[in-house]
Amino acid sequence: MDKIHELFLSPFPSEEMMHYAYYPGCSLKGSAKKLDRDLRRVFEILGIKLTEIENWKCCGAFEYGSLKQIREMSKVNLKKAERISFQLIAACPLCCKNLKEANEDKKYSIYHPLEILNVDVLFAKAKRELRGLPFTPYYGCLLLRPKETAIKDPYVMERVIDKFGGSLSGEKIRDRCCGGNRFFVDKELSLELTRTILAKSRGFLVVFCPLCHMVLRTFSERNKVIYFTELLLYLMGEREKL
Amino acid sequence: MLKTERDEIFEKTGQRREDFSVCMGCKICASVCTLNDIGKNVNPQDLLLSIFLGHIPNDHSIVTYCTSCYRCVESCPWRIKIPEIVRAIRERSKGDLFTRTFKSSIAIFGRAYEPYIFFRILPFLLKKGYLRYLPRWIRYMNFSFPPFLLRR
Ligand code: SF4
Ligand code: SF4
Repeated sequence: MDKIHELFLSPFPSEEMMHYAYYPGCSLKGSAKKLDRDLRRVFEILGIKLTEIENWKCCGAFEYGSLKQIREMSKVNLKKAERISFQLIAACPLCCKNLKEANEDKKYSIYHPLEILNVDVLFAKAKRELRGLPFTPYYGCLLLRPKETAIKDPYVMERVIDKFGGSLSGEKIRDRCCGGNRFFVDKELSLELTRTILAKSRGFLVVFCPLCHMVLRTFSERNKVIYFTELLLYLMGEREKL
Repeated sequence: MLKTERDEIFEKTGQRREDFSVCMGCKICASVCTLNDIGKNVNPQDLLLSIFLGHIPNDHSIVTYCTSCYRCVESCPWRIKIPEIVRAIRERSKGDLFTRTFKSSIAIFGRAYEPYIFFRILPFLLKKGYLRYLPRWIRYMNFSFPPFLLRR
């Protein structure tokens, strides 16, 4: 029992609190399938149970209609989650933002996976080190802004990498915009925006957002772009190489 | 007449007029705007000003390029939601092919179903030279069933 409690940043009163309703979002069912799969595996290893919300619908992203319509779409998803839990996890930064904003009366607790990760527990589970490897953690926009919906600890990826001995860079570009939101409208814009990001990054570019991943990977010449979950699985000995 | 247009925009942002009219023209938003990093020379405050002066700036560079990065919101003393204004203005026009396809995917599948979106915007992707990146996109292309067949 004690061990289970250690898995969290804050001590939860009972074991059943470890059960989260999981909202993958459209990307994680398609282009970011890998993130979905790896994330489930990471949570399994950490002993946190995720149950996918049944028949969830798109959160509306940025594209859908007025703000009111987007709120309504997320409210439907929150309602559907109730049967599983009032605690939700959404991995896509934009889905997470939309859900958090739709949670007007604070009836639900909505987390991004990065908010649940406990570095000390990870340390206990880890089988490898990152010594000698260079990393550039890249958060992009929505994990850090606006502050109402941002993740609680804006340096969590740095802390993990640092704890395992990896060398860090890219302090200046970690919160830059990659233009992902407009990628399929105006690719030149993304190309120009990512130029600075790529020029200032060293080693592996570690991201969590499916769109950042796609955009950076499309334009990256020398840096390998990986999801943070890939790094976690590597640490835990589930993957042979990064 | 103009007033209703303006009200329509504020309504779409989901906020009140007062949330925007507090702008004091400090232009901090312009100094942090992502678009100025790549030399687009924009001033988000312009957008507010023209709306308040009764002109809806449909062709403003911000409306064309804004990436909804929220940098302006974070730095604005009043946290004025410029990206919401941008979206409200974009919403009034027919919209670009991607946005239209995205919406129609939600209407049909309830989700953004990527294979559908990809094939619908294929002519655009071809014309604008996206397909040279195709080798890098291969790993993103998983065959997946349309959401309504999966029931999850
Ligand atoms: S930062 Fe805010 S208050 Fe200042 S000019 Fe921009 S929108 Fe107006
Ligand atoms: S949200 Fe739009 S207007 Fe605001 S800083 Fe970003 S690109 Fe500029």
